[in-house]
Amino acid sequence: MSYSKLVSFIEPSLVCFEKAFSNQLDFFEDIFEKAYSGDFVLNDFLEKIILREESFPTGIKTEKIAVAIPHTDAEYINKEFIALYILERPIVFKSMEDNNEDLSVEIIFVLGLKEAHSQLEMLQSLIQLIQNDKLMTNFKEVRSYSELVKLLEEKEKKNEKN
Amino acid sequence: MKKIRVLVACGAGIATSTIVVKKIEDLFYSKGISVEIIQIKISEAASRQTEADMLISTTMFPTEYQIPAIKGMSFLTGIGVEKLQDEIILTAEKILTNK
Repeated sequence: MSYSKLVSFIEPSLVCFEKAFSNQLDFFEDIFEKAYSGDFVLNDFLEKIILREESFPTGIKTEKIAVAIPHTDAEYINKEFIALYILERPIVFKSMEDNNEDLSVEIIFVLGLKEAHSQLEMLQSLIQLIQNDKLMTNFKEVRSYSELVKLLEEKEKKNEKN
Repeated sequence: MKKIRVLVACGAGIATSTIVVKKIEDLFYSKGISVEIIQIKISEAASRQTEADMLISTTMFPTEYQIPAIKGMSFLTGIGVEKLQDEIILTAEKILTNK
């Protein structure tokens, strides 16, 4: 599994570590502020991503961990990106499988995609990453963008050796 | 060869559905079943169900459908994937027998 496509998508200016938010709204406001000032998204993005999360939640619970992959329609994205937040304290996201179920989420990938069919490889590696419990546990300990890249590239090298 | 038509949906029609489309393609290919896949937003499912034999979505279903509708989140969580694959194939085979 190659994580290089995924790494190239993760936008360094939109990677945050150890931030604490009281709730989802605070989180969305934070990512919107950063993404909007970096010209990644349009003005409507904040409203739309909140709305989307309410109607079709993006919480994913694997065996050991819960993450969220909030995103909205392509038309609100200016430049493609993935934003990554590793939180100090979990916040609640509803589960994609059951929107009555609350998940305690510590790792959030905000997907800013314009045409996902051309991003199959990147999305596949994202899901593969999320399903890799060991890697995700290491992920939680990451404290810088360069550490993050190193972790994913090391994993790639290990795969190549096999 | 008889073909099965599948609607694959998610909220925005671009992210998780893309992953599921590939999973479905691979699954049906491995079973030798000819499939046509249409990728959509879940909001379009009700109006497009006449174009397909079954619906697979990574979202909850906002309404009831006249075609079999299966939740496909296992492809994302990695939990219960085999069970989901069996359910999809069983449903498809049943549909094909009746075509």
